[in-house]
Amino acid sequence: MSEPGALGLGPVVLQAGIDSDVNPAYLAIFVVYLLLVLAIGAWAYLKTNDVEDFWVYGKRLGPWLATWSYVANFVSAVSVIGYIGSVYGGGYSIVTGIVFGLMLGVSGLYFVVHKVRELNHVTFPDIIAELTGYEIARPITGTVLLANAWVYLIMQLVGAGLLVTVITGVPYEYMIWVIGGVFILYTVLGGLVSVAWTDLVQGTLMVATVAVALGYMALDLGGIASINQQFAAIEPANVAPLGEGAYTVLGVVASIVAFFGTIFTSQATIVRINATDSIRTAKIHLAAGGAILSVFYVMLVTLGAGTTVALNGAGLAVENVDRAFPVLITEYVPTTIGTVIIVAILSGILSTTDTRLHACGVTTARDIYDYFADGEPSDERLMNVSRISTVVFGLAATAAAVDPPGTIIGLYNWRAILLTSALLIPVYVTLYRRDTAGKAVLLSIVLGAVFGPGWEALGTPLGVPAAFMGVGMAVVGLAVGHAAWRGDEGTPTAATASDD
Amino acid sequence: MSVLGMPTGMFLVFVATLVAGSLGAAHFVIVHVLMGKPVDETIREEPPTATDGGHDDV
Repeated sequence: MSEPGALGLGPVVLQAGIDSDVNPAYLAIFVVYLLLVLAIGAWAYLKTNDVEDFWVYGKRLGPWLATWSYVANFVSAVSVIGYIGSVYGGGYSIVTGIVFGLMLGVSGLYFVVHKVRELNHVTFPDIIAELTGYEIARPITGTVLLANAWVYLIMQLVGAGLLVTVITGVPYEYMIWVIGGVFILYTVLGGLVSVAWTDLVQGTLMVATVAVALGYMALDLGGIASINQQFAAIEPANVAPLGEGAYTVLGVVASIVAFFGTIFTSQATIVRINATDSIRTAKIHLAAGGAILSVFYVMLVTLGAGTTVALNGAGLAVENVDRAFPVLITEYVPTTIGTVIIVAILSGILSTTDTRLHACGVTTARDIYDYFADGEPSDERLMNVSRISTVVFGLAATAAAVDPPGTIIGLYNWRAILLTSALLIPVYVTLYRRDTAGKAVLLSIVLGAVFGPGWEALGTPLGVPAAFMGVGMAVVGLAVGHAAWRGDEGTPTAATASDD
Repeated sequence: MSVLGMPTGMFLVFVATLVAGSLGAAHFVIVHVLMGKPVDETIREEPPTATDGGHDDV
């Protein structure tokens, strides 16, 4: 995939530090925000009675909470910083290359979500272990999911730390630990109960405030049509679906496949589906979530165009696209509007951070520790392992975010390829074809996990996109494995029980 | 030709994105709300606690 407006974080972090000039008003808002989410975490701690509460909210998640929690989790640092920066640097082509695939994925999952929820599991590896009939599927899948969740966590922390630093003026190396610490604490306290309720607050705020910010920019710049005309006048490629060469058709299709697939294969999504109180709620949260998110992203990229027009018109053009949105807030808009936008940004980034932290804890305890532990661990022990691993992975991600390993968009792309290559084909084919050989599913997962990210690491030789290579090898592994091992295995017991 | 200040092709990509995200909502409203078809709530009580190595022991 082309990298729309790749974000060079190193220079940005450096520049943020140089620019440091503490803004008391913005800093106060941020402190109040952190205290609010900590208070929700403490309340959720009192509501969390057992490991099922901690992992999946006791499977009592209703439509409202599920929908807004999904929306809040969906919109990440990439959305609020990367997307606006990407529109600033590369125009609307990101809608063609990424947003369309994501939205198609949400609706696609709506149509198959009953297949996931009816199994009544907790995590994605639970489902795969049942489909394959092999317990080893838990740590194999768990490792893939943990890699994704951890990389995603680094992205969020980098984005949050960067933005809050630029806005409040507190140096990045301190701010990243404050943010990491607060989010680890409240996720550890209340598990999914904390995550869902803070997401409800954050998701609602985020969508409303982005609408307000876009409304302000539209009024300021003469309306939406005027924004688009001025955006096109800056660079005609800004309003070309493929960016006039920035994307190829093949690259766009590969990107759509990769991001479509991530919707189906995210541990956080599967855990949330399994936390719903019914299949009806599971369907509603994806149906409503998809509609809300598609409108939200259209507003967000339009805000990106407005940002581009405003900064260029005011002589505030930035070299690094990552700086576009923070500069808009701190240099262009009035403090009141800036405050509103900050609330939206923080809500978007931090609500994703807590979900990924939670996913790290659940995956480690349920899918990896439980497999390797001697005997059957008690619920209390599993909850403790969840909490400890949340702290460990959270601190490790915070440490990694101090000196990030790559660009936000680069990391975002890498984990999309990993997830889709490893899990999309074997899992969803097997959900519908329950007689698929278990070993074939495992082979397909391993081949996809190795060849997708591996092909990307090699620089996509032969011009074949990594998502195609990963998904292609997963298909080959599944087909060849099934042909070879079909006679060796019967239908897994659990699958038979489910079908009954 | 332009719509909302952008070329028609780009506008259609925006429309396609809105439609793509709303397919689930459209289906739910038409099938489960307007037509009144209930959602099949077949959720098993307890998932199996162990796997079987890919073999059918039933």
